Amino acid sequence: MSAAPARPLLRPPRSDGMAGAFTSHLSKTMTVKGDLDSDGEVVIHGYVTGQVCADRLVVSAGGCLEGDIIARDVRIEGRLSGRIFALNVILDADAEVSGRIFHNTITVAKGARIDARMPWRPPSYFETLEQLPEARA
Amino acid sequence: MSVFNRNEKDGGNPVGGEKPREATPAAAPVKPAQANVQPIGAAEAPKSGGVSVISKALRITGQLESTEDIRIDGEVDGDIHGVSVTVGAGAKVKGSVYGQTVELAGTIEGKIEAKKVVLTSTAHMAGDVIHQDIKIESGAYIDGHCRPGTNKLDSKPAEVKKVQAAAS
Repeated sequence: MSAAPARPLLRPPRSDGMAGAFTSHLSKTMTVKGDLDSDGEVVIHGYVTGQVCADRLVVSAGGCLEGDIIARDVRIEGRLSGRIFALNVILDADAEVSGRIFHNTITVAKGARIDARMPWRPPSYFETLEQLPEARA
Repeated sequence: MSVFNRNEKDGGNPVGGEKPREATPAAAPVKPAQANVQPIGAAEAPKSGGVSVISKALRITGQLESTEDIRIDGEVDGDIHGVSVTVGAGAKVKGSVYGQTVELAGTIEGKIEAKKVVLTSTAHMAGDVIHQDIKIESGAYIDGHCRPGTNKLDSKPAEVKKVQAAAS
């Protein structure tokens, strides 16, 4: 488990600015039960259960994620059940989200189905986050 | 801000009203506007068919299952079930790898169970290999038994949830 790391959960951006060059794709038929940890981009077309840490995360249309997200940028076009801790959040028209969305900036497209609280936090909150708060009912 | 203006132009729906899902097409023109807001890559960037790619920058702790091909360049701590599984040079897998075809150029600590196994010259295999057809290139490291598998190798990658069906 990546629990209780000494470093902040959200890594500083790659110094080489190459985050986009390290894109991981999880295809439609891919099921992952476990945690993902990346300092690049992760695109989920399939089904993931677990915590996802990434620089950028996209849950594409048809994709499904059950678990918490810690990322700089998040774009949801599919379904999410869990919490988002991200500086920039985009919820697309087809998004279905339930949980909590801790954000600094957020965009919600018309048509998105959101069942979530959306607390605003300053950027420093995300950069120093070392452990996720307890999930509350 | 501009997103909201656009919405009003498009649909003229009262804000906060219970909107039917059919409103979605009207929202389509909004997308470019969002793209300006943040540089989050659209999902349909360079999608290479049904192949899953675990990039160098990704580490997965847990189990992977797919009915399509998997390419691993990062680190996986857990079992992998796929059809054609490629473990690239520099990649690391701790766990068992199951598939029709497994090609290894990186490191596996665990087991390989596949019809066709290829260990390339940079492969580092610590564990048993159960195969029907194996190729080991000069330079490959292997510490474990190689034995021809039984016919149960006709592994159907265990029931992968058809989430997509449910999603629609």
